[in-house]
Order: sequence, then C-alpha cells, then structure tokens
Amino acid sequence: MSNQNFRPKVNKYVYVAPEILNNLTFGLEMDLLQNIKFLLILLLLSACKSDNKEAEITFTAEGIEIPVDYASGFSLTDFGDFKLVVVKDPWPDAGRSFTYVLAEKGAEIPSSLKYDQKITIPVKNMVVTSTTHVASLEILEEEETLTGFPGLDYISSQRTRQNIAEGKIRELGQNEILNTEVLLDLQPDVVIGFSIDGGNKSLNMVQKSGIPVVLNGDWTETSPLGKAEWIKFFGAFYNKIDEASSFFEDVEQDYLEAKTLAGLAKNRPTVLSGAMYKDQWYLPAGESWQARFIRDAHADYLFSNTGGSGSLSLSMENVLAEAQDADFWVGPAQFHSYNELQQASPHYQKFSAFQERNVFTFSSEKGETGGVIFYELGPVRPDLVLKDLVSIFHPYLLPDHQTTFYKPLE
Amino acid sequence: MQKARTYKPALFLLLLLVLAALVLNISLGSVSIPLDEILAVLFNGQVSRESWRYIILEYRIPKALTSILAGSGLAVSGMLMQTMFRNPLAGPYVLGLSSGASLGVALVLMGAGLFGGLFSGFLLSGWGLVIASSIGSLLVLLAVMLASIRLKDTMAILIIGLMFASLSSAVVSVLAYFSPAAELQQYIFWSFGSVGDLTWSEVGVLGFFWMMGTGLAILSIKNLNSLLLGEQYARSLGMNINRNRAILIISTSFLAGSITAFAGPIAFIGLAVPHLIRQVVPANDHRILLPAVILGGAALMLICDTAAQMPGSEYTLPINAITSLVGAPVVIWLLVRKRKFLF
Repeated sequence: MSNQNFRPKVNKYVYVAPEILNNLTFGLEMDLLQNIKFLLILLLLSACKSDNKEAEITFTAEGIEIPVDYASGFSLTDFGDFKLVVVKDPWPDAGRSFTYVLAEKGAEIPSSLKYDQKITIPVKNMVVTSTTHVASLEILEEEETLTGFPGLDYISSQRTRQNIAEGKIRELGQNEILNTEVLLDLQPDVVIGFSIDGGNKSLNMVQKSGIPVVLNGDWTETSPLGKAEWIKFFGAFYNKIDEASSFFEDVEQDYLEAKTLAGLAKNRPTVLSGAMYKDQWYLPAGESWQARFIRDAHADYLFSNTGGSGSLSLSMENVLAEAQDADFWVGPAQFHSYNELQQASPHYQKFSAFQERNVFTFSSEKGETGGVIFYELGPVRPDLVLKDLVSIFHPYLLPDHQTTFYKPLE
Repeated sequence: MQKARTYKPALFLLLLLVLAALVLNISLGSVSIPLDEILAVLFNGQVSRESWRYIILEYRIPKALTSILAGSGLAVSGMLMQTMFRNPLAGPYVLGLSSGASLGVALVLMGAGLFGGLFSGFLLSGWGLVIASSIGSLLVLLAVMLASIRLKDTMAILIIGLMFASLSSAVVSVLAYFSPAAELQQYIFWSFGSVGDLTWSEVGVLGFFWMMGTGLAILSIKNLNSLLLGEQYARSLGMNINRNRAILIISTSFLAGSITAFAGPIAFIGLAVPHLIRQVVPANDHRILLPAVILGGAALMLICDTAAQMPGSEYTLPINAITSLVGAPVVIWLLVRKRKFLF
C-alpha cells in the first residue's frame, strides 16, 4: 500500500535534505547511498523546476523520508514494500542507533542493507511494554493485535480493557523482569520494548530466541509534539503511516493553536510542580517534557533554569525558598486532596498555591484498574494537556474548556 | 570418623530427591506444557508447538542447571566458611562477597549521575552486570585476603568481612538515595536474584567456576576434618593454617562470586543447607558432608525455583524471597532446638 496515496511535501523536502543524507548513512552501504543522493538531487532539481506532482512521481520509486518534524529519536524511510526505521539513542547517552527493517511478505531487501532486526508487516501479533504504546495502537485502531503486556492493570482505556476481560491479552509480569516463558509461548511478531539503560535481560533473552525486539525511545523525547509524533513509528508497523501522520497533524494544529492562544495572555503566572517523598522534593527538571508544557502554556516554571530532562530531587528548604509564592502548583505526585497534602507534611501549607487552592493534579483521573489516564493518553494527546494547562493558568482564554487530565485538588 | 558406608542410603535418597526436584522443575512453569510434550522435546520427538521446544531447551533446562549449580555451590561455600570459622552462623557471604558484587552492580545501574555515559553501552553486551559484579567481589576479596595475611586470628577475618559489607552497603545507599525510581527498581530487581534468563554459554561459564571451587573444596577435605578439632590441633597435625585458609577463601570466592554474578545475591541457601544436612546426615566427616551438601543445596534450590515460578500463574516471585522464606525458619528452628544442635 502507501506509495500511491503518499504525498510528500516537497517544500519540506528541500528543507530537510541534509538531514536525510545524514540519517541514511545509518546501516546503508555506499552504493545505495549514492543512489539516494542522486535521487535527492533529482528531487531538488525537479522541485525547483516543476510542480509538486512530478516530484511525487520521480520519488515514489526509491526511499522516501517520511517527515518527522519534532521527534529527535527516530527517522522513517519508505522504500515501497519495506520501510526503514532508525531509532536514535533509545535511552539517554546510548551513543548509538538501531536500524529496523519493516518488510512486507516477499519484499526484496537489498543485501547491502545492514540492520538490527527485521519485522514482517503488517504486524498481526504485537507485544508492547508501555501504556503510551497502547494508546497509540488504539488511535491506529489496531488494539486487536495486542496479545501481551506487562502489568495489565495499568491499562485504562475501555476498548483494551474489554479485550483483557475477554482474555485476549496475556499478562507478562513486570517490564524489568518480563515473564520469559509466557512471552516465548506467545511468539509475537514483534516486541516493542524500552530500556532505561540497555540492560533489560528479559528483552535480550527474547531477542536471542528469534522474536524481534524493537526499542522505543518516545520516553526520552522532551518536546510534547516530539513525543506525540512517535505515533508515526507505530503506524509503520501496520502500514498506516498516512493515518498516523494525519492524526498527528490534527494534534499538531490543535497544540500550536493552543500555544498561540496562550501567548495572548497578559501575565505569566509562576508555577511549582512535584511533591516530597520523606524530605526530598522530586520535581521535573527545567528541560523536561512537563516543563515544556508549562512554558508553552505561557507560564513560568520556577525551576526552568535547572538543566537536564529528567527529574530533580531538591531539599524542602530549597523548594520553599524558591517557590513559596508560586501562583500555581501542578502535579503534586500522588496527592488528590489538600487534606492528604497537609497530613503528609505541614510544610505544604506554607505555599501560597496551597493557601489559594491553586493546586491541580493529573493523578486523580484513573481507569477502572487504577492506571493513571494521563500517563497513557497524555503523551499522544499533548494538545489536550496543553489546553488543560492554559485553561488553568489563563481561565479567561478558554472559558468553556472541560479539563481532561488536570483536576483541582479536593 | 564414621564409615562412609553407613550414610550411603541417605546420600542415595538425596540423589533421588534432586532428580525428582529436577523433573518437577522442568515440567512446571508459567506456561503449562503437557508431560508427554516435554518428553517429546527431551527425546527429540514431534512437538505440537515449536515455541514449547524453545521454552524447554533454552529456558527451563538452563534455569534448572543454574539452580543446581547455584544451590550446591552456595551450600558448599557455606559449609566451608562454617568449618573454617568454626561458627554455625557463617555463610558464603561472610567475606563480604555479595556486598562487593552489589556495589559493582549499583555503580553500573545507578552511578550514571556520577559517571555520565561512561558505563552506557556496557550493559548492552548482556555481560555487563556479570562483569561489574565479579569486579566488585574480586576487589572485596583482595582486600580481605590482604588483611588476612596480617592477621593471626581467623575470627578477625569475619569482622573484617562484615566491615567491608557495611562500607559497600553505605555507598550503595548513597547511590540509591539520589537515583530516579526506574534505576532504583532495576537495582532492586537485581538484588532479588534470578536463576532464569541465563544462556547456555553463561551456564557453561558458571559451571567452570563451580568445578574450580568444588575441586578445591574436595582437595581440602582432609584439612577440613582436621580443622573441626581446632586450629591448634590442625597445626599439630602438620597443616599449614595460612595456606589452607587461602585455599578455602579462594574456593568460596569462585563459588559464591560466580553465582552472585550470574544469579544475584541469593540469600540463606548457603547458610541453611549445611545445617539442614547435618540434621539429616549427622556426620562430621567432610567426605560425607560435602556430597550431601551438594545434593541438598541442589534439591532445595530446584524446589525454591519451582515455587518461585508459581506454576500456572503468569506472575513469578523473586527467588531471594523464596529462599529466605525457607531458610529463615530453618535457622530459627535450629536455634530454638539448640539442645540437639549438631555442629
């Protein structure tokens, strides 16, 4: 499928051409690379000289880079009956990339192509390891292909819960120690795993048994739209890149509109996040995904000058000194009510966001088995997350917005 | 010294127990595979599902062998340490081996903040944790050995081992304190221990170290028997105490170090099995104790692993919890019935 109805945006092409050359050096031998370079030059020439339609025809014959505009962790190239997915740095400082060939039955893969894993598509029997992946499958209407998952209770979406109730999805234990026997018994076409440092022993074992393991790095993306763009990565496994792209374009448009709207706000309220465990305050670092949302919602995250994309652990004193007067407090860990906060630590009362009742949490919206919906759906619907935050920080901009994830503390 | 013949039936029963536990261990697991299919796999017949063949040959059998090697190896090293220190509460880890291993693993899993990307990619090989754990054990071992050369009293080595354990667990605590949840979870899971997920080549390496360690123990049988009567007496029999001590330490390190590297710090088997065996086979002669402890350790570990797999269920329990659940009551029971305490 896909070639005849794929429409590359030629303007974008001219813009990303140097990147394409770089991306394709992963695992490609020189002769193939030369071909692609030649084709690219052709494309550039045709883009200059002729209209879009001709460029399309010239280019469908060989590898077409699917535009990936925000995500930095993967690239996608369509070669007709097979696709090349390159995942870069699937965990922080990995220092290497992984090349996956997604091939339809009978596709001829050039022997010069070097890759880590080959997967037959469209995938009929899939194992994923994060609830975010489950949300992506549902968006692509492929939740029926999901046959195993570690920690079924974390899944909240009703459609997939229905499949679990019908016994179509097997429990695989926990991500760090997957139940190897059940996984081997399932014989999935592919396991979409993630690794926080490349040392997941169960995944290594599965891979050795001949079941392809593909590492997903969506969790390392710090840009909200970048994280959401990984829907295209999942689309590739089902020959549904077009569907994924069009879904993403809608999300992108909504997100950018909400961001522009937030920019109209007169003020930039100050924001605090996280909560204490014992006397350490755990909060998102300044370059993290959560911090980016706060910035895009036209507010000042008080710890935005801290580097790093993970989480910070600061002393209570430090946070109190910095953020006592913060206007808003979003995402106070597991707490759902002011009472709980107060009981956990009397220090929380000192914050003006607490006194003014301006604390909002995303962890109170849960599925029927206790999974936090935000973790499942938030990454693929950044538009909804941003709208929630804009409506909290600047209520007059979105007066009728019903928040999806963020709710005020009780 | 007792005659070996008296204990032959007991040893034979232990061997039967190991075989029964082995059959049980291979036939039970999260995926229920009918017994005739298992036999078909073992005798190269037709299997109705190819994945079952893989599960048996590449997962369950290596796991069973690992259980045998780990259980027997830890039991032997526990026995060696109990005899050497003449202390019933000594175990394979009194020399601080597991603490050294934990420190090595903690540095790799949770030290990213300290070393940046230094160790990244290191884990990819699959041998990363094994190497880290071995280096950690080796460093602690060298420190204990150096100290033991200067020490006249064997008991002081016990204290030094304990001190090294405290030192390394302090460093691990500091690392854990500053680690994000995901890294901490990985470390915790490692510390739970696991005898599964070893490839055949890893089982081979483990088996090699097991042979080295057990071989040294067999060579020391005579000296072990002399040691039971006290160091002074052993010396008067012409035994070189220091050399013998070094051999026992090296043997224990081969066994406990390699097992910890591949299966994590598995508690209590090494401490509990020698005591259990002394109840069943009340012998002091290491010519009988050694094979009995090897068989007992293997059987207990196979049974613990079978229980940890929770047959038929998709969840598994950490092997460390199970061994302790078995081991701790044994130790308590031993102390309570001290009247008949055999050591």
